[in-house]
Amino acid sequence: MKQTLYDRLAAYIIENQNQFYRLAFSYVKNQDDALDVVQNAVCKALENYESLRDEAALRTWFYKILVNESYACLNARKRMVLTEESSCWEIPCEESGYEIHDDLYERICRMEKDVQSIIKLRFFEEMTLNEIAGILKMNLNTVKAKLYRGLKTLRVEIGEERGA
Amino acid sequence: MKRMSEAKQKYEDIPIPEELSKRVMLEVEKAQVRYGEKRKKHRMVFVKRGMMAAAVAVALFTAGVNTSEVFARELQNVPVLGTMARIFTFRSYESETEDFKISVDVPGIEMISEELSGLEDSVNEEIHMFCQQYADAAIERAEDYRQAFLDTGGTEEEWEAHHIAIKVWYEVKSQTDRYLSLAVMGSENWSSAYSETKFYNFDQEAGKWITLEDILGEDYARIAEQSVRQQIKQRECEEGMEYWTDEWEGIGEDTRFYMNSVGNPVIVFEQYEIAPGSAGEPEFEIVIP
Repeated sequence: MKQTLYDRLAAYIIENQNQFYRLAFSYVKNQDDALDVVQNAVCKALENYESLRDEAALRTWFYKILVNESYACLNARKRMVLTEESSCWEIPCEESGYEIHDDLYERICRMEKDVQSIIKLRFFEEMTLNEIAGILKMNLNTVKAKLYRGLKTLRVEIGEERGA
Repeated sequence: MKRMSEAKQKYEDIPIPEELSKRVMLEVEKAQVRYGEKRKKHRMVFVKRGMMAAAVAVALFTAGVNTSEVFARELQNVPVLGTMARIFTFRSYESETEDFKISVDVPGIEMISEELSGLEDSVNEEIHMFCQQYADAAIERAEDYRQAFLDTGGTEEEWEAHHIAIKVWYEVKSQTDRYLSLAVMGSENWSSAYSETKFYNFDQEAGKWITLEDILGEDYARIAEQSVRQQIKQRECEEGMEYWTDEWEGIGEDTRFYMNSVGNPVIVFEQYEIAPGSAGEPEFEIVIP
């Protein structure tokens, strides 16, 4: 039996669900929201599978939906809890004696949304800058500029912490 | 970049909750139902070679599945050979209210041979009862769901946007000169939890329902189980999917099966019975030794 694009999409989703969850969690920082984000993204992807023309683009196509859903979740939360800062939702999961300010991962997650997306997709998901440009609907040069600026900021901040 | 690889490690250490795969599968299943509806148009019917009249009849019946009762009644006049039974859409109705849509096609079997008349009544009664029970239960579930939806703050407009649909339909799995296999199915588009497929296998020569024992002999449970286990092993190698054979209790009287067009029984498992949901309802053909 010939496998259709739809079947391949479903298989891709099932196979890579853990990756999706990690990325979602890295934005929303709690299990319930991360589960919702992944579920919504899967639902939307399967509902709109017809808009996926090119199978080679399956991964970037899905991540576009996933990143959008993560952003939507963060935005909805911002609207809901005006008094609290969204970063307060982070789950304190540090080991004792762990220097939070020294933690690059936490730093990345506190950066501006687009910059953290670029860094996560580039270094954690190992995507090319071209793919990232497609996912975030940005021009390639913008992605590059934001990435280098972001990395510089991180290096500077870490440097300061270290020197202090 | 050592620090970045540490950060990546931290990212990869994000624990995966058990619930994730359930939630993902839920969506995949819901989509599968929607997708299945679209593809159903291309349904196929298997007919043994050389049975032209029957082939024509079966093809027509399938084409006529969603048409009116009048059409179904006319079909009964198609001539069919031998002692065969005929299948027709006994009753077909569709209704759409603001709350939900329901479409039901109840198949009927008609025995051609004189000696077997009378039997068809009990056959048909059972099939009709299954269709009716499923439709009634599904309507009840839809109404409960609607009530719960409205009680928890949903509006009528939002409910309508759900496009709840209930469907009962059938498929002729095969019709050979000896056997007739029908699959009668019920599904609801908002949940696959209640989807049900029931198989009816009929020996047209003997004029009776058939069991796996009739086909494979006294030792049917062992023969079938052995064959299934062997095929699972092979599939695990080829597809890389893991089957849950440890929990499988083996073949019994209630094991679902249908007869395929070459006259071999095909065992059908429920979704999740022996494999992850993505495998759907795994089928295993048991070649008659």
